[in-house]
Amino acid sequence: MRRLLHRTLPLMAAAGFLLAGSTDALASSHMDAPLITLDDAANTTDVYAFVHDENGRKSLVTALGVYPFEEPGIGPNKFNFDDNVLYAIHVATGDDVAAGYPTYSYEFRFRTKFKNRKTILQSYLDVINDVDDAAQNLTQFYTVTKVDGRTGRRTKLGDGVVPPNNQGNATPFYNQGDNGENPAKDGVATFEELDKYTQQSIAALDNGYIAFAGQRDDGFYADIQAVFDLLKLRNPGRDSQGGFNLHLMALAIPVDELGGDRQMAGVYATTSRRRFTVLADGLAKSEVIGDWVQVARQGNPLFNEGLVAVQDKDLYSRTQPSSDKVLFSKYAEKPELAKLLNRLVLEPDIPGIETGRTDIAGIFIPDVIKVDLSTGSARLAGGGPTHPTNPDDPGFSRLSIFGDDVLVSQIQPGFGDGVIPGGWPNGRRFGDDVVDIAVTALISDLRTSPPIIRGPAGDNVNANDTAFNKVFPYESTPQNGRRHVHH
Amino acid sequence: MKRWTVYFAGLVVSVGLSSGCARKEAQAAAAPSVNLDPCAAALAQGPERDDRDRAIARLQQLARSLASPEGEIERLGYAYVARARVSSDPGDYTLAERAAACLERRRPGDPAALLLKGHVLHQLHRFAEAERIARDLVARRSFVLDYGLLGDAVMEQGRLDEAADAYQKMIDLKPFYQSYTRAAHLRWLKGDLDGAIDVMRLAIGAASPRDPESAAWAWTRLAAYELQADRAGAAASAAEMALRYQPDYPAALLVQGRIFLATDRPADAVAVLRNAARLNPLPEYQWTLADALRLQRLDVEATAIEAEMVARGRITDPRTLSLYLATRRMDAPKAIALAEEELRARADVFTLDAHAWALAASGRIREALPVITRAVAEGTEDARLFLHAGLINAAAGRGRDAKRWLNKAEHLRSMLLPSELEELDKSLTGTARESGELK
Repeated sequence: MRRLLHRTLPLMAAAGFLLAGSTDALASSHMDAPLITLDDAANTTDVYAFVHDENGRKSLVTALGVYPFEEPGIGPNKFNFDDNVLYAIHVATGDDVAAGYPTYSYEFRFRTKFKNRKTILQSYLDVINDVDDAAQNLTQFYTVTKVDGRTGRRTKLGDGVVPPNNQGNATPFYNQGDNGENPAKDGVATFEELDKYTQQSIAALDNGYIAFAGQRDDGFYADIQAVFDLLKLRNPGRDSQGGFNLHLMALAIPVDELGGDRQMAGVYATTSRRRFTVLADGLAKSEVIGDWVQVARQGNPLFNEGLVAVQDKDLYSRTQPSSDKVLFSKYAEKPELAKLLNRLVLEPDIPGIETGRTDIAGIFIPDVIKVDLSTGSARLAGGGPTHPTNPDDPGFSRLSIFGDDVLVSQIQPGFGDGVIPGGWPNGRRFGDDVVDIAVTALISDLRTSPPIIRGPAGDNVNANDTAFNKVFPYESTPQNGRRHVHH
Repeated sequence: MKRWTVYFAGLVVSVGLSSGCARKEAQAAAAPSVNLDPCAAALAQGPERDDRDRAIARLQQLARSLASPEGEIERLGYAYVARARVSSDPGDYTLAERAAACLERRRPGDPAALLLKGHVLHQLHRFAEAERIARDLVARRSFVLDYGLLGDAVMEQGRLDEAADAYQKMIDLKPFYQSYTRAAHLRWLKGDLDGAIDVMRLAIGAASPRDPESAAWAWTRLAAYELQADRAGAAASAAEMALRYQPDYPAALLVQGRIFLATDRPADAVAVLRNAARLNPLPEYQWTLADALRLQRLDVEATAIEAEMVARGRITDPRTLSLYLATRRMDAPKAIALAEEELRARADVFTLDAHAWALAASGRIREALPVITRAVAEGTEDARLFLHAGLINAAAGRGRDAKRWLNKAEHLRSMLLPSELEELDKSLTGTARESGELK
């Protein structure tokens, strides 16, 4: 495949640069639209979607992260899911993928319970041995509900419990040697090796769905700090998200629940809050319950952050993918980022990358992560190719197709013989280096046959700071509040 | 980008607690700098005592280094506002105003520059000017914070229905911390205490853990609401939560002191109120401390505090000073002058109350009566307001109305300062009661 992609190409010596002048453009999905940065609990970070077998059933694994730059162990105000936020992972199938309509929506609603409110110890009364034991003062529970977008039918899939955040001594079993003084456990390859809190929180729901909700390490990696620090890039770069956590909702959806695997799926996520009437009319009691207002949306990585202009970022947050073609296709077809690359970084300019980018629009419009369900399981990231106990799957590349990591589709020709990317933009896996993939795609030209590939290029951050798990829920163990390192 | 959270979130805290504002000091402090280049003033190096200072220094450094630093200057302006809210340093409002002027110079008519300027004007109690900017902004775009500014500006001018419309637009566009706190305050102003508590709890849930002052503010307001609802235990818990988020948070300490006073713990009240008044030496704090000190028979210290309040209050918070003077029956002409000066900037419920009370203290009952009647007409459930309405009506010979308002004040007596309680009790047990007019 590498030969296929590269044989006609002048390889640009592009490695090592990062997008000078795009200080806002590549701010990751962690601080995207201006207004949503005011609402951490509803602020989406990343969406993941990839094909994998779960408990012997071919599944579409989906995940949504919230709470960007979650400082481990922060107190007294612990990061928690918000009971008043509607979190939803949407899946489009069939014609809905191109149209940008959710065929199915999977809603996560949380409720928070305290065992003892007459204490300042909000979360931990003692060492937590098991999830929701007597020592876990604050416990969150959740319900997952499937909503059929065509009929409106709602089906409760089941309930789950949220494990405690990794504070340190209060939560030793997250950490190496089951010792709260040690760093968080490394990624593992099997369920049995997972820390016991995570194990106890993986919920088997009805119809073969599997769910998890709780704190994890933030698996997005990029040198955002260098971009914001006067564009003084470095080699190696530093993972700006290093040492930070987030809150993750993961849901493995059996593919047969979506109508089988001979199709594409489109995945995105939203968060919503309820509006209400500020002042009730007459003598009616004021309420705080009204209909839901979408406050954030997340599909492909970097779209709203890297391509949509500031003036439209909040508009993006409150609209649906079905509007993307009308409202936002201009940003994909004429990406300002490509223009900035030409103006500020590339020498000489690369002609033709600034306009008419139907290839980029094909990825981002509508902004749902397109996943070919007909392939085999995606290769997974572990702790790198040479990790002694939890190596990446053979053939895994953070660069997806640009690193020769491909899958074979049964339903589309792809780049020939069904060859399609093994990771983003065919789905998105934990460990996909979306910054490097995006930059490489922008400076390349995928409109031609064969495509012209330049790069790979990127920010010199090539791995997450902690190893991923190769087992559900995949995202790494949450960083220890007592022992973690920011870069 | 992370700092956006902090800066924007801090803005909402200005809603409705304007009595603790130091805007005249800010205006005075601004005077010497009017001839300075606003950008130079905004970017001038300051102290680096804590994280907020360092964040400001980083923004300044970044702004100086960029050819187009408008975004950084905008954030710097909000950073100054946010710091002012915690430090109570009026000079920060001046710096915020300079940042807004700098931004406006670089991008004349730019909405972001106007919004920052509008917020600064609001902080400086230049509500009419802030309203003009807000109306300009909402005519040009549909940005939720523009409606927040508009609602804040008209609310301070006493136009609560217009404020409700603006805040409703906020909620419709985006339900989140900023719109929740505003909605809660408006509900409270309109007398819907339960509704205010419901929404303030939403605000608490939506506050960013990275912005402890926002969470502390929401908990502080909830504590005040719970105290008003006569749930002292819940109020104390809420105040403690506020202080866990933001230790030594003056507003929370003040509420905690009020809770101690309401629960007959004057010694504890003195301890926290001393700290609160030290951190935020404004009349509202000093008056509360002085009352607590007098309960403890610490009259010398109380007198000193009151003297300082009288000396500086005209600059820092004339409305509260006016109320204090009228309550103490001291210098009624000054009390009236202070209230009338305040009325020129805003005509909200509490300024009307201060004006009416000052008029009453000088014996001008016939003039006071329509003013206090207008103030209570909004439906705000406030013990001080009711006390003044009762006493003014009693003085006007309107016994039935006096009884009604005094009974409402009695129902909310935990909200009153000791000196006001004394006034209430006298009125309830004095002439009016003897004459059968009251209770």
